[in-house]
Amino acid sequence: MTLDHAACLYGGTDDFLTVAVPFLRAGLEREEVVVAVAEEPNLGALRDVLGPDGGTVAFIDSAGFYRHPIHTLRDYQAIAKESAPRRVCALAEPVWSGWTERQTLEWIRYESLINVVFADTDAQAMCMYDTGRLPEDILFAARRTHPGLVREGANNAYVDPEVFAAGCDRRLTFDRPGHAEYTAIESADLHRLRAFVAGRAERHGLGRQAARNLVTAVNEAAANALRHGAPPVGLWTWRDGDTLVCEVGDHGYWRAGPLTGFVPPASALHRGFGLWTVRLLVDLVELRSGWDGTFVRMHVHR
Amino acid sequence: MDTLWSVRRPVSDLRPGDHACLAYAGEDEFQHVVGAYVRGGLRAREAVLYLTGDAAAAVPGVPPRAAHRLLTVIAADEGPRARLDPEAVRDALAAEVARADRHGVRAVRIIADLTWALRRPDGLEVLLACEEHLERITAPSTRVTAICPLDRRRCDAADLEALRARHAVRAAPDPEFEDPVLTIVRTFQPAGLSLSGELDASRHAVLDQALAILPAGRDIHLDMAGLGFIDLGAINLLADVAGRAGTGSVVLDRMAPEMRAVLDTVGWARLPGLRVGAPA
Repeated sequence: MTLDHAACLYGGTDDFLTVAVPFLRAGLEREEVVVAVAEEPNLGALRDVLGPDGGTVAFIDSAGFYRHPIHTLRDYQAIAKESAPRRVCALAEPVWSGWTERQTLEWIRYESLINVVFADTDAQAMCMYDTGRLPEDILFAARRTHPGLVREGANNAYVDPEVFAAGCDRRLTFDRPGHAEYTAIESADLHRLRAFVAGRAERHGLGRQAARNLVTAVNEAAANALRHGAPPVGLWTWRDGDTLVCEVGDHGYWRAGPLTGFVPPASALHRGFGLWTVRLLVDLVELRSGWDGTFVRMHVHR
Repeated sequence: MDTLWSVRRPVSDLRPGDHACLAYAGEDEFQHVVGAYVRGGLRAREAVLYLTGDAAAAVPGVPPRAAHRLLTVIAADEGPRARLDPEAVRDALAAEVARADRHGVRAVRIIADLTWALRRPDGLEVLLACEEHLERITAPSTRVTAICPLDRRRCDAADLEALRARHAVRAAPDPEFEDPVLTIVRTFQPAGLSLSGELDASRHAVLDQALAILPAGRDIHLDMAGLGFIDLGAINLLADVAGRAGTGSVVLDRMAPEMRAVLDTVGWARLPGLRVGAPA
């Protein structure tokens, strides 16, 4: 069983259809579970062209499906699990507009993670990149994150996902503003810490659910630092425009791999459940280990 | 049904003057709550009067047929044809309370296990008359406490309502664990635990201990209504408990919407053995 993960660089809706339609029809002929995630107007055009043949295709609008990379990986995995033992044939068109530079990096990382998360499936995924609309760096990244290129045959630019993720991490900066508030975390009873984070979340204008998610995430990072890290353990919080940042740090050196917390665990009983859930619960998580300790930085947007 | 004026109080917190009822529906609940009451009394060197229909009945909380200087079983009903006699009950209790006084015992606990009498002719009337006497003995006293276990299986709704109305206090199980952050109380219908406060890694061990006392082989219901926070480690612990041999599912009842949403985000497929029970 191997994953077939390829990128297709196309130009415009007509060209999109000339590749996507035969791809989906072939999946239907092989009686696979066929999924088409695309942006409008491509999605509507696909429906029209496939007509009644598309009756069993699951059409999904990219706008709703690509909101948070960790959630999207989870959702694709759910599709694969629910479909088993049938093979999944997925046409995928990620969203590349409306993100900050930082968010775009996470979506590029996401494309690379697909190769890891679905490595043990025999799914077939073709990711659509519109050369007419997308900037050169996104197209360049597509070659580095997809083992196959539909129209160009061999792809020498593909990079191993672990190496790629490490490269993404090297692009991160970890400045912390001077006005960040520091709270020491000294007891395993994190009641006071939670009350503090809930207060900051409310002051920042987060909704009830977002606040609860953040409190749960910070609690988890703090519990991990107390359990596995070295004192002193503490929390820094600050606001960066619409973003509330909570960073849990300890003085230990945890050599987290570049894929840590990105791959969905099979269940709550499996290793990595905590950090993966932290990644699900907030908008962005960044990990850093260095001479000065280990840091888990969580971002939530208002 | 809780009445506005009735107070719910864990058995260990009952105080002199309290005339409490315990409406129970199973032997384990009866043993758990009444047993704690009896043991607590004997430990505090108080007199324990166990009023029952059958002199040979086992007293909850103590080994069967164990004689104890402070424990007196009063058989209120000699023989299957005899009637429960409220005046005889009153006189017997008064005599025992006076005897405790003479012996310098500082307090008296009464357990009036009488719902069996409902099956007799005029059962409810007779029982209510007994309750009247118990109230007169207990309520003004600074030394007497009473619990009346009410077996729901033997009462119809009207009987239960009439009997409950005679008690200003409802006895509740003692918490399995209680501190300023977390309280864990055993529940019986359904069988499980009621959690209130907040649960994090500092209290996983006490949750695990409390789970271990529950009967094996059945679903475990956790009443989450009072729980303001649960950490991911506790969710992991619950999935682990549900996966142990001989355990049914762990059913999470009355979860607050924010807590439910966290678990929905994780996905129930990743939470083997856990399921959503009654809505909030």
